[in-house]
Amino acid sequence: MRILLVEDDLEQLEPLQGILSEAGYIVDAAEDGEIAQWLISQKNYDLLIVDWMLPTISGLSLCRQYRLSGKNAPVLMLTAKDTTADKVMGLDAGADDYLVKPADLVELLARVRALGRRVPNWQGYSLRIADLQLHLAELSVERSQVKVELSPREGQLLEYLMRHPNQVLTRNQIEDALWECGMEPESNALTVLIRKLRQRLQLLGAGDWIRTVYGMGYRLNPQESN
Amino acid sequence: MFNRSRRNLASWFTLTMGSILIMFAAIVYYWEVIDKLEELDRLLYKKTSVMAANVKSELHNGQRQLDLEHVPLLGSMVQPLPDSQLVYASWYDEQKQLVQFFGTIPSDRLSISGGFDTIKTDSKVWLRQVTLPVYQNSLLIGYLQAAMPMTATENALAEFRMVLAISAPITLGVVALTGWWLGGLAMQPIRHNYDHLQRFTADASHELRSPLTAIISNAQYGFLSKTTDLEVQRQRFHKIFDVAKSMSTLVSNLLFLARYQGKLPTESLQVTDLNNLLVQIIDDYATQPDAQHLSLVSKLLNNSITVLGDADLLRQVVINLLNNSCKYTPAGGQVQLRLFTQSRWAVIQIIDNGIGIPEADLPYIFERFYRVDKKRSRQTGGFGLGLAIAQQIIQAHGGKISIKSVFQKGTTLEITLPLK
Repeated sequence: MRILLVEDDLEQLEPLQGILSEAGYIVDAAEDGEIAQWLISQKNYDLLIVDWMLPTISGLSLCRQYRLSGKNAPVLMLTAKDTTADKVMGLDAGADDYLVKPADLVELLARVRALGRRVPNWQGYSLRIADLQLHLAELSVERSQVKVELSPREGQLLEYLMRHPNQVLTRNQIEDALWECGMEPESNALTVLIRKLRQRLQLLGAGDWIRTVYGMGYRLNPQESN
Repeated sequence: MFNRSRRNLASWFTLTMGSILIMFAAIVYYWEVIDKLEELDRLLYKKTSVMAANVKSELHNGQRQLDLEHVPLLGSMVQPLPDSQLVYASWYDEQKQLVQFFGTIPSDRLSISGGFDTIKTDSKVWLRQVTLPVYQNSLLIGYLQAAMPMTATENALAEFRMVLAISAPITLGVVALTGWWLGGLAMQPIRHNYDHLQRFTADASHELRSPLTAIISNAQYGFLSKTTDLEVQRQRFHKIFDVAKSMSTLVSNLLFLARYQGKLPTESLQVTDLNNLLVQIIDDYATQPDAQHLSLVSKLLNNSITVLGDADLLRQVVINLLNNSCKYTPAGGQVQLRLFTQSRWAVIQIIDNGIGIPEADLPYIFERFYRVDKKRSRQTGGFGLGLAIAQQIIQAHGGKISIKSVFQKGTTLEITLPLK
């Protein structure tokens, strides 16, 4: 899952980014509203975590503009403003959740997971396509009682493919989704990663689920077990 | 909330003033009633006295003979009193037996021996009656009883009641409106203070929550993280320490602001030589990193300038202001510290040719937590409390602090303190 984290106080930004990255999310951080706006226009995020009081553009107007532009990823507002009126204003601006600072990181992670569950193929803390199940917490993939461990990177790739099943995803899209902003992947990094994931899935008899669409990209093509 | 308090104030005011008004009206009415009755009694008494003066009692062969013929109304030998208003008049002898009467038929025997009464007749007219014992040569010769209708008095009182009934509600209305207006006037400073306090509380809670969040997040990240890298852990502790330290400064600043409200107690004031104080500050300050990149110039006087004050607090003000000036003056700039007197005031000026303050920000510059550039101040470690503290200290000394600034040109801060 790709998260945009907008927080102007570096002292707060760093631990948040750290804990989210360690939890397996791909996190882009922005220190003010303008940078956040630019990032939103460049990438597709699965979740936005936004502080209210930001320089240049406030978190509130950032949230409004995001909703006005028709994007529908969940927004979590993380702020020191704690009155009921503030919460109402924040939620009405388009936020899906509201957390008052100082927030417990464990609670924050739980809320991030809760907001991330809003995909149709969600089951417990795992994603399911046909009879293939990806366990996000333990980073393993399971099919017909056979379980295979994945590396964090492979897990992130499979998660992205499973969140967008049957869609042709271009190399650019996948690279945008998987690599943090400013981290350019090497030219063959994605090819290598796809090959590694296919090898893992091969152990489950699902190696051919990831189809290469020539000249375009890749597609996760689930097949029911016979 | 404020409208409710205002309504409360206005209604209590109206209730109190209204009660006073009604009590006052009742007393005035009571006195008017007494006054009118006395007037009526005087008139009645005058008339009956005239009648009584005409009663003649003479001794004839040892027998007392009463001559009522010359008494107005009772006797036939005199013209009736013009406009007498008397409803009836009766003469009783000394045994209280009826002798002669005019008007309605009285009872045969007098039941009272004298004085004024108010009685009601069958035709429901109130009458004021007087019974007068009449003496001649210190000898009681009989009683004269007469009565006058009270209609005129009643009418006058009814008119007065009407005036009160109309004017009291009007006055009450005016009192209520005045109460509402006064309530608004009284609420104004409270509302202003409340807004100020609200803003201050919001700012303070935000400023306290940010470092708290940073401390909690960093600490929690520390024990949730799977990293075993000691250097990373050490950096995290360092960050927590830095944030906690800046928070401690903020808390002590806030406590300081809370502690030094109003004037300083006289026992903490001492004769302080400003010249000496500034020389010391300049000597200490010149080595500070903030002052290293620019030239610090002082123009002090040779003679001593003394004020009554707390030297430590005054030093804190000057250092605070010097810090600001040095922080916002680019390398190669100049910061001047001047001291002079002006009539009965000592004036300290801190003049820089730094980046200045935009005109729009000047009116708010002494407000707590006010920062011209939030981001820049945060990076330089400011909370926007320095000037508020400086102002509070100077005001506690009975002095004034003012600022003049031209954006991109420089800033002049001026402190005036009363000379000893």
